[in-house]
Amino acid sequence: MMATPAAAPPPHRTAVLVVWALLLAAALALIVRTPFTADLSAFLPAAPDARQKLLIEQIHSGLPSRTLLMGITGGDAAGRAQASRTLARALRDSGRFDQVNNGDTDGWAGLGQWLFEHRYALSPAVTPERFTPDGLRSAMAEAMSLLGTPAGDAIKPLLPRDPSGETQRIAESLIPARAPRSEDGVWVARPRPDGTPRALLMATTHAAGADLDGQMAAIATVRQAFLPLQAQGFVLQLSGAPVFSVDSRARIEREVHWLASAGTVVVSVLLLAAFASLRALGVALLPVATGVVAGIAAVAAGFGSVHGMTLGFGSTLIGEAVDYAIYYLIQARVDAQGRGGWRQWLADSWPTVRLGLLTSVCGFVALVFSGFPGLAQLGVFSVAGLLAAAATTRWVLPALMPQGSPGMGLRRPLGRAARAALAVLPRLRWPVLLLSLAAAAVLWQRADLWRADLASLSPVPRAAIQLDEQLRADLTSGDSGTLVVVQGPDVQATLQRAEAAAERLEALVDRGVLGGFDSVTRFVPSVATQQRRLAALPDEATLRASLQQATQGGPLPAERLQAFVADVVQARQAQPVTPQGLKGTAVAPLVDALMLRRPDGSAAALLPLQPARNAIDTAAVQQALQGLPDVQLLDIGTELGGLYQRYLREAQGQALLGAAGVVVLMALWLRSGRRLLSVCRPLVLAVLLTMGALAALGVQLGILHLVGLLLVVAVGSNYALFFDLLNQPGAATLDDDMLASLLLANVTLVISFVLLATSSIPVLSAIGRVVAPGTVLALVLAAVFAPRRPAAL
Amino acid sequence: MTPPRSGLRPPPPPGGAASGPAEPAPRRQLGWTRRSLCTAVLAWPCLAPAQAFDLKALMQRLGQRKSGEARFTEERIVSGFDSPLRSSGTLSFAAPDRFVRQTLQPVQEAAELQGRTLLLRRGGRTRQMDLDAVPEVASLLDAMRATLTGDLAQLQQHFRVELSGNDAKWVLLLTPQEARLQRQLRQIEVVGQAADVRSIALQLAGGDRSLMLLEPVTPAR
Repeated sequence: MMATPAAAPPPHRTAVLVVWALLLAAALALIVRTPFTADLSAFLPAAPDARQKLLIEQIHSGLPSRTLLMGITGGDAAGRAQASRTLARALRDSGRFDQVNNGDTDGWAGLGQWLFEHRYALSPAVTPERFTPDGLRSAMAEAMSLLGTPAGDAIKPLLPRDPSGETQRIAESLIPARAPRSEDGVWVARPRPDGTPRALLMATTHAAGADLDGQMAAIATVRQAFLPLQAQGFVLQLSGAPVFSVDSRARIEREVHWLASAGTVVVSVLLLAAFASLRALGVALLPVATGVVAGIAAVAAGFGSVHGMTLGFGSTLIGEAVDYAIYYLIQARVDAQGRGGWRQWLADSWPTVRLGLLTSVCGFVALVFSGFPGLAQLGVFSVAGLLAAAATTRWVLPALMPQGSPGMGLRRPLGRAARAALAVLPRLRWPVLLLSLAAAAVLWQRADLWRADLASLSPVPRAAIQLDEQLRADLTSGDSGTLVVVQGPDVQATLQRAEAAAERLEALVDRGVLGGFDSVTRFVPSVATQQRRLAALPDEATLRASLQQATQGGPLPAERLQAFVADVVQARQAQPVTPQGLKGTAVAPLVDALMLRRPDGSAAALLPLQPARNAIDTAAVQQALQGLPDVQLLDIGTELGGLYQRYLREAQGQALLGAAGVVVLMALWLRSGRRLLSVCRPLVLAVLLTMGALAALGVQLGILHLVGLLLVVAVGSNYALFFDLLNQPGAATLDDDMLASLLLANVTLVISFVLLATSSIPVLSAIGRVVAPGTVLALVLAAVFAPRRPAAL
Repeated sequence: MTPPRSGLRPPPPPGGAASGPAEPAPRRQLGWTRRSLCTAVLAWPCLAPAQAFDLKALMQRLGQRKSGEARFTEERIVSGFDSPLRSSGTLSFAAPDRFVRQTLQPVQEAAELQGRTLLLRRGGRTRQMDLDAVPEVASLLDAMRATLTGDLAQLQQHFRVELSGNDAKWVLLLTPQEARLQRQLRQIEVVGQAADVRSIALQLAGGDRSLMLLEPVTPAR
């Protein structure tokens, strides 16, 4: 039996194995040096238009991507306030944060000092009229209007140097329209019937939003700084984009490991049962491992980084690639008559497997050309993985096991069960057709089937989102996610344009259309504006004369305002401040947060809008900004939604193209309309029934469901083709072992996707929940609609 | 005249009893109020029990007015300033939660309080801010609004409230409860006649003080 020529090992087997091992090692070396990402950036377009570019800039490095939200619970109110101060101080001292805010005004001392020193360049009230006797009189009256109230304590010490109230004027422009509640001098949650009392803090990391390692270090700093407070019974609540990104990366990493090991173990047990041979098991897993490694390496080479989702998807390749091995090991076995072996398999079955491979690849190639790196990664991964797995099956497996797998294991009962099922299944034709009609009817009714949004791709767990919403409601209720973006070729041009935009927005605030807005020009006006203000300051003699007149009979005599005169005289000589000259000052983080300076010298000023009541009237803002050059209104929520819709439309087109490619390929191969129809029928019905079931269950379909459906077509076509080809005259008989291999291949595939369906990461579970039932249906329906060949049954 | 000891039962408001802004406070507050009243009485020997004037009744009576307007003149004595700072303007309120202080002299400015949102208008500029975020401003405005609208629960959230006098002239003494507020504000003394507030005197912790005299534009109903 061993000596039959058919079963002799292939020539060059050593060379084949060496080449394979070298390729594998090279791929592994590439993977080891590739970073691995988990943020949403993979779902942003690779070739964005100008608007999308702004959006991406915001997502990568914008303030929200760097902002940590913190809550402190436990203890009493005074204790929490103290804990908040302790934590804020520790974080400020750590140097890892650009800003740490807990409502404590002490944190602003440096900024206040800076603003005070530059008040004559920064205050919009500085005009020549302001320093006439009348102007000074009314300015001083206004500046003193809060004296004698609790708010006056902060103002009184400033008056001798700033009687016209420029500091107040600047501070007034910086008051946010919506701000957290303040108690005991620190931010606290607003009292709610069901709310936990907590102190609140907000910190902006120095590390960029995309720098996950930097974010992770910042989070560790917070936890470390909180340890002594934890010992006192306080509890830290931590949220915000950095936490989500870092946690998601860790979760995806954990989940991918778990899925890969669980998938491997379950499939191994199944293979062991089927082959009753450890060697067969080891060999069967080789195409899988090679495929996964090749897939990751291809993505690493093509994209420079691998997204966590791609890796999670990789575990599905286990189920798909192991099919090739199963077909080979079962179908290449040498039977009692000495027939079989690798040569026989290459002649009989390889063309079918190859066609199945090509249809699968065809399905995924469509994704490779996606404008979104996330989807393109899935395509590249799957194409490379499948090709590598098939190549391993074609060349490496014959070199290792030229006679297939000798053991029988549970294959015989499996085959018998399959044959029994095959006899019954065709009776289900009419019920299946009726059910499909019902599914079509359900789909027809659910016009809103594709309603999932970008958030559905987010792997953040529900509880974390709830905590984030609670903290956000108290900390950033004024943050509408809408901002005006002003761009210019250089910093000064951008600042001047931002001043023009701010003037228009100011009018909206006065009319009550907006609650308020932030602008970098309140900290650093353009040089032109600053020069105009400083030039408006009078000389010493004029000022003294005006002051004498203005203070006549007033509560504050001119003699006590010598420091004011000195300050004005000094300010006249001052140089304007520029964003470039602010490095290291207390105002620098605020300026950096509100203005992006690009390497090419151009800049973008961001003016976040705060709603007057609930929502921003974007139409009114749009209208107010009309005619200003390079000014755009950006609503991040809407833009992201639009992006996802474009993404979804593109993916739908690609999935259809992929499916069409599969059909064309099969048509070319089959060269018969009747046969093509019989192969496509189970596929179409499987897709229809799967979608119908999801629709009936009220699932919102998204991009990942779509990818899953494509996978059902790509993989399911293999089963349908097998039934078709085995029913052709002259093909090998459809024996129990052949049936067992089909069934086993399907079961392993389904198991790996069932595991995926149980994942806590929505991206992965969505794929699993489509492919697991879809491929079972594809196999069963292929059997239901298999052409009858009485001779074989 | 001195009301009967059982407390002043307010006449039903014109638009139906259940719609008033002071209504939500009612029964559960009663025990608390009585207790604090007892404390006030004990702490203030000159106030004979027979003259005790029911705080809750007064607040309900104030609360029955759905709106009101008064002209004010204010004099502030601020240390370090040679002469008092004077200003004048109007105060107005409308149930349930609107309160406006409009200064006409020496400069025009307005603070409009609506719910928890504060609008500051000065020299043609408008700033919107969150009252919860600025406790220094909030405590005073809250106290004035709560007094005018008869919102006892709101008053007692931040102040110990003591009442003395009688219907012809009552004195409401508000002392901050929280340490942080105590560091800024010693007390607020509101003097009134029947359902009208006639003066509000403020004493700051630093010694500065102010006195605001009110002249109702719309007479008490």
